[in-house]
Parts: sequence; structure tokens; C-alpha cells
Amino acid sequence: MNENFKISPSEINNIKVLNQKDKNFRLENLKLFNQQGFPTRNHEDWKFSDINQIFSKNFKNLVSFKNKIKLKSVNFIKQFDHNHILMVNGKLENSEFKFEDKNKIKIKSYNDSNFSLNNEENSLINLNNALSNNGLFLEVADNYSFEKAIIIYNVFTDDLKDNLLNNKNKIILGKNSELHIVEYNINQSKNKFIYNTTENVILNENASLKTINLQANQNEGFFYKFSKGKMKSNSNYSSFIFSSGPKFNKIDAEFDLEGEKCDCNIKSALFINKDKHQEIKTKINHLVPNCKSYQKIKSVVDAEGKGVYQGKIYVKDIAQKTNAYQLSKALLLSENSEFNSKPELEIYADDVKCSHGSTSGSVDENSIHYLMTRGLSKKQAVQLLVNGFLNEIIGDIKSNSVRKFIENKIEVQIHGY
Amino acid sequence: MLVIKNLKASINNREILKGLNLKINPGEVHAIMGPNGSGKSTLANVLSGKNGYKISGEVKYLGESLNDIPVEERAQKGIFLAFQYPLEIPGVNTNNFLKTSLNTIKKAKGEKEIDTIAFLELVKEKAKELGIDEKILSRQLNVGFSGGEKKKNEILQMKILDPNLIILDETDSGLDIDALKIISDGVNSSRSEKKSFLVITHYQRLLEYIKPDHVHVLSDGKIIKSGTSELALELEKKGYKKLN
Repeated sequence: MNENFKISPSEINNIKVLNQKDKNFRLENLKLFNQQGFPTRNHEDWKFSDINQIFSKNFKNLVSFKNKIKLKSVNFIKQFDHNHILMVNGKLENSEFKFEDKNKIKIKSYNDSNFSLNNEENSLINLNNALSNNGLFLEVADNYSFEKAIIIYNVFTDDLKDNLLNNKNKIILGKNSELHIVEYNINQSKNKFIYNTTENVILNENASLKTINLQANQNEGFFYKFSKGKMKSNSNYSSFIFSSGPKFNKIDAEFDLEGEKCDCNIKSALFINKDKHQEIKTKINHLVPNCKSYQKIKSVVDAEGKGVYQGKIYVKDIAQKTNAYQLSKALLLSENSEFNSKPELEIYADDVKCSHGSTSGSVDENSIHYLMTRGLSKKQAVQLLVNGFLNEIIGDIKSNSVRKFIENKIEVQIHGY
Repeated sequence: MLVIKNLKASINNREILKGLNLKINPGEVHAIMGPNGSGKSTLANVLSGKNGYKISGEVKYLGESLNDIPVEERAQKGIFLAFQYPLEIPGVNTNNFLKTSLNTIKKAKGEKEIDTIAFLELVKEKAKELGIDEKILSRQLNVGFSGGEKKKNEILQMKILDPNLIILDETDSGLDIDALKIISDGVNSSRSEKKSFLVITHYQRLLEYIKPDHVHVLSDGKIIKSGTSELALELEKKGYKKLN
């Protein structure tokens, strides 16, 4: 790849393609990517995260990654029982479902070109379509509820340097099934790399999926994840995003509420450190009546950090009795902290309940003073207030052991401040 | 314990305290009364070390000048301010906060930190004395507390942190008679030869429960009259205006 990030079609020769159709699909998408390059701020969806500029600043050249890895030992979570899936640099290594009926679970490496996301405006998805060579496919049978959560250990090895990784995941939940996933990113690389993922989530009637996205450590990774969800009637999706840590992270979630009475929840608590950049972008499409969506995004931005929330709620004309809520609250710890929020409502039905709000401000001086009169230093007082601010989200996690684990992780992040 | 000489304090170029003098000996309870805007809360803020005031004059605590001592060090040295309007701190568990606060102060004093079990026992005992429902202590600090609960929580903090100089800033405001009595009992049972109190209030009512050794009248940033608890009764009858 040259410095303008143009990618040679010969790259595709290094990928094991399925058939000629697959190869053509990839070549076509590569062409689209090369025409557009990485998105810039001129593109509305990237207004606050000019990824072209960010990549240009951080990468001289990008190298496709050949799957030759040195995996250091992985610290599996011991605080609570769980099933696990181990992904290394995006490749499915192994999985273990010791608490489950294995007949109800289908898992394999994902390699399916028939993965059209119909989002050709997004050159990162084109790039992903062209080059993705790894990923996870997970399917849960109808009427099966998991006994324990799955932790997906996403490990990035220290072989990574200036690499571009593309992968695709697909998760399908059958009717009346239930699953809880903790996606836990462990980064062993000290170097910069780009991890570009597209994910497809399908929740069939009455299915329930809960996900938690968590980073184990501070790192130099650049992450982009596009999630496309389809929800059938009475299905339930709940996502907690605690993705602080990488140098850059953008989570781009688009959910279609296709069946009545489904419920889509996205909550996040982010502590954005010095020089880190995080964006959460959502689009919730209410396509039928009687669905609920709820988003609460809380972000704390330290000096030189940057946070972005772009949230859109779309309500189709027939989607009466929609109940949609969206709130972003940001706490800025320094004059050099930046937070951009763009909440949007696009409503074509008349009998709906939609609300949105966005606030950002600094830590309340009177609260700091109050805590300091009880002997706490300014730093301790701010940490306590920041913790309290983010706790509102963390407190919503129902499992005690999972919640405690996350609380500890977030506390470590805050105390690094 | 506390010696204030010619204390002047201004904020946004407006002078609020205009040369205040006060001496409090160990074991004494002093009451400061005064009309709205006389500078009572400013005095409490300045003694706590709150930022934003331009200050001249001298404040000595246990023989040491407080002029350059930051807020948290004052607290660690044993100065406690019970707030007129205790702040609500969302997301912060009351017990966790209390324990952090106590251990920070203990650490600063070079004492051994308290463990969770001993701490919970201490809180339980003190909460019981003040008729505080223990359940509220596992809730977020002051969030959703009633006015009375907030004030009781201040006195609970006072009892747990065990300071030497206690400033009560209109602790009686917004309290019903029952709560007032409980809080006063809480204060009275803390009185000792080593502790001094500065009770700031509008009304004489509180002083029926917490008997002061000295009463001062603050008006326009200065103490214009000092006396015994008789003075408080006199004020109640005549009002502040007559004194000027």
C-alpha cells in the first residue's frame, strides 16, 4: 500500500477467496474504496472524526497482516464463570462452552461474501468487504437460553505493527433464545494498527441479546466497528459500551427494529484519556409500531481527549406508539477536552414519544469543594465525582460479579488520570 | 483553638467581611448570629478554605496560620464545616465516601487506616445515635435525601471524622423540632474540652438546644456586639435593626 492508502488489487490474491463471485465482489469493493479513500470530515458521518487525517498522521504505510503470530499467555477472567471464545488478531482460535448444551450452538470462522450491508457510502465497509479474511460466526438455536455468559477474548498480539486487519462477525439468535456476551479486548501490542470490523446481528422473535464491550488496557490500536442489527418482534437488545483504552475507537451501530414490541438499549460509560479519541454513532430505525429504544451515553473527557456522540432516531410513518429516548452527558476535565454531540430525530409518525438531550460541562466546583472539606485532595475529589458520574451506567448491569469486574476496570482507568 | 484578626474577604471585588475579630478557646461554643447578607456563610466558607475569595488579615488555628493552607489540609488538621446546603453527589455511595474521607484524614494524621468491618461498626453506632436509617447510607451521597436527612448526614460525618473545630453553618435551617432536637443532641454529646464549635444561625431557637458560651452579632462584615447567651434572647426580642 502506498502513502495515499491506495490498495493494490494484488492484495486480494493473498486472501483465500471462496469463488469467482467472491473475488469479483472483493475487487468491486476495493475499487470503491480506492476511489474514495478513508473518510474525511467532509463526510457528515465523519464530521468529528476525520479518520483520513488521523490515519495519515499515525501511519506512514499500512501492511496487510499475514497470520503468523506469537501469542503470549492470555489472562482469562476468573471473577465469574463463563464460556469463552478466543479470537487472536481477529481469527477464531478456539472456543469452550462447558456450561452449555453444545448442540444448540453453531460456531465457526466466518467467511461468507454474501454479506451485503448496503452501505456503500462508507468506504471502511468497502475496505472490509474487499479484504476481510477472518471473523466469527455464532448461531444460537431456537428456544435455547445460555446458562452462563460468553466472553469473547479479542486478543491482539505484539506482532502487530502498522497492520490493517479486516474482519467480519455474524451473530444470529434463534426464536426465544437468550445470550449474554462480554467482548473483552486484550491488546498485547505496543504498536499502532487498525482493526476494521463489520458485524451483523440478527435477533429472531423473542430473542434476547445482552452485550458488554470492554477494553482490558490502554493501547495504541485504532478500532472501527460497524454493527448492523436486525430485530424481529419482541426481541430485546441491550448493549453496554465501556470501550475506553484504544488510541482511536469508533463504534457505529445501526439497528432496524423490524418487528413490533422490540426493545433496543445502548448505554455507554467512557473515560477518554489524554490523546484518545472515541466516537459512538448510532442509528435506530423504528420501522414498525410499538417499539422502544433507549440510549444513554456518558463520557468523561480528560485533557487533550476527544469524544463524539452522533445519535439518530428514525421513525417511519407507520411506526406509531414508538417510544424513543436518547441522552448524552459529557464531563470535561480540562479546557483542552473536547466533546461533540449531534443528536438527531427524524420522525414521520405522529403518535410517538421521542425525547433527546445533550449536555456537557465541567466538574462542579462546589461539589469538589464539598468533598475537599472532608479531607479529599482535589484529584481524589474529581476521581470520586467522575466515578459517580459513570457509575450511573455501570449500576445498571444486573449480574453482581460482572458489575464488580467492570467497576474495577473503570476505576483503574480513572485512577490513571 | 482559633484566632481571627482583622479578617477581610472579598469576592468579585465586593468586600463581604470587613475586619472581623474572633477568638475561640478549646472547649468553647461560640454562636454567630446576624441578618441575611451580613457575611455569616462567607465566614464559614473562608474558614473552610474555599477558593475564589481575596483575603487579608490573619486566621490562626492551633497556633498556625491558615492563610496558605488548602481546603483538604484544613480538614485533615481537624477543621470541619457542616454545610447549610449539603451537596448531592450522584453515583457516589455514602458509606464508600465516608470511609475514603475517614481514611484520608487518618493517613494524613499518620494513623492506621480503618478496615471495612470496623468502619461499618463505627457508622452503625453513630447512625443509631442520630436516628439515621442505615439504608440511606448505602444510597448515593445526599441524593434524594430529605432536608433533615442531609443535615443529619452532616452531623454523622462530623462524628465519624472527629474534628477539633466544628463550624455549623445554619444547621438548623429547614429542620422540624424533632430533627432539631436529634441534631442538637448529636452536637451536645460531642462537646468536650478539646473541641470547639462555631455555630452560625439566624435564629435563637437553635441556641436553646445548643447552649453557647459566647454569642456574637455579625453585621455588615464585622462583629458589632458580643455577649453571653442572654444576647441571643435580646436579639430575638428586639431584632437585629435595634443593635445598629
